Amino acid sequence: MTEQEGPLDLGAFYEALLFIAERPLTTAELAELGALPRLQAEAELSALAERLEEDERGLRVQHHDGAWQLVTAPAVGARLATYAAREEARLSPAALEALAVVAYRQPCTRGDVERVRGVDSDYVIRSLMHRRLVVEVGRRDTPGRPVLFGTTFTFLERFGLTSIDDLPPLSSDAAQLTALTESVEPAAADGE
Amino acid sequence: MQPIPVEPDGAVSVPVGDQGFTLALPAFEGPLQLLLHLIESRQLDVLSVPLAEVADAYVEHLSRHPVDAANLSEFVSIAAQLIFLKSKRLLPSEPMPPLPEGADEPDEEELRRRILEYRALRDAAKVLGEMDGMAPAMRREPREADLPEIASEPMPAAVMVAALEALAAIPEPVAPPPAVVPREITIGQQIAVLRQALSAGGRVLLQTILARCRSRTEAAVTFLAALELVRRRQVTAEQHDIFGPIVIEASAGEARP
Repeated sequence: MTEQEGPLDLGAFYEALLFIAERPLTTAELAELGALPRLQAEAELSALAERLEEDERGLRVQHHDGAWQLVTAPAVGARLATYAAREEARLSPAALEALAVVAYRQPCTRGDVERVRGVDSDYVIRSLMHRRLVVEVGRRDTPGRPVLFGTTFTFLERFGLTSIDDLPPLSSDAAQLTALTESVEPAAADGE
Repeated sequence: MQPIPVEPDGAVSVPVGDQGFTLALPAFEGPLQLLLHLIESRQLDVLSVPLAEVADAYVEHLSRHPVDAANLSEFVSIAAQLIFLKSKRLLPSEPMPPLPEGADEPDEEELRRRILEYRALRDAAKVLGEMDGMAPAMRREPREADLPEIASEPMPAAVMVAALEALAAIPEPVAPPPAVVPREITIGQQIAVLRQALSAGGRVLLQTILARCRSRTEAAVTFLAALELVRRRQVTAEQHDIFGPIVIEASAGEARP
């Protein structure tokens, strides 16, 4: 940034920066490059994301796990897929189930996925990791220190989401149940 | 309860061989999936149906459709819970035996909660399945030509100087001689030859020097060298007849040319 650029240009600066970046940039990097405090940088990026969406532009800002990237809008995705000739291999119902559990309950363990599905889910989680839809994000501080899984930017890209908050809401019964489950049995079945 | 076909969508029974042996491909992957299917296929309300009522259908299905060993314990565990719930309904007045320490009470609410939780995520999975790849977001792919970023540290000046000195110390490579080297004769060389000849006695017959020349060129250059010395007034030349002998004599004052 040069001296004559004012604070009003920050949104444009970040838009351009995310445009040329070939990987997701972290909030810390963006704050440093914009010479801003982190919170202000985050506010600028969120404002940029909102502007792109409100103006129905062809691009969206994706935000995941403290990093940001510029992607194409889902509305144009199908036509772009024709251009890019990108055909994703369909996910099996089992893989989708496991992916849904990880997406909605992240970070969660393999045990959490198996408890919800009632089936051994080792193989499906491996296949999700292989497709880079799911990654290890840490370990839970319970006996056995089971691996915690979370979704990735690849997941957001594939399903045309801008962030995890963008996931379609679970049915309301389940929402209440989730709250109940979490209060009653925090991290119950974590047999790894 | 009425037996109701419990094959879910996509379930396939494949007859094998002449004996009519039927291979049932795994249709229900999990016990909760089966349980939920049994409830929904009867159009019962998951929130209120007494789960005990589904016990018979569940066990019936399990007996007809073996599940793979990996998930058998889960199916059996749910079956046990259902049978327990049914037994409680059949014997409502019977006091409950005390549970052994640490054992979970297979509570109907607990099971119902699992079914509902499963249903919510199964439905979410269906939505995700519809979204899958339909409207993907795409990002810029890294260009292949890009080199990985290398953290650049300034090189210490001493290293640079040492490197330059080492570079300078390398001798110029000697050019290999061409296959045929033309013999080069210069006037300067032949002046030296003439002076050498003159140094003996101060005068010399040019023809004797020319006679030693190995080529016409050398002779011509030697002649030119003699003329040059004359021009510089370092020698004098005398010839009395055309084609006669030429006497070269060091000039007076040129003590030793």
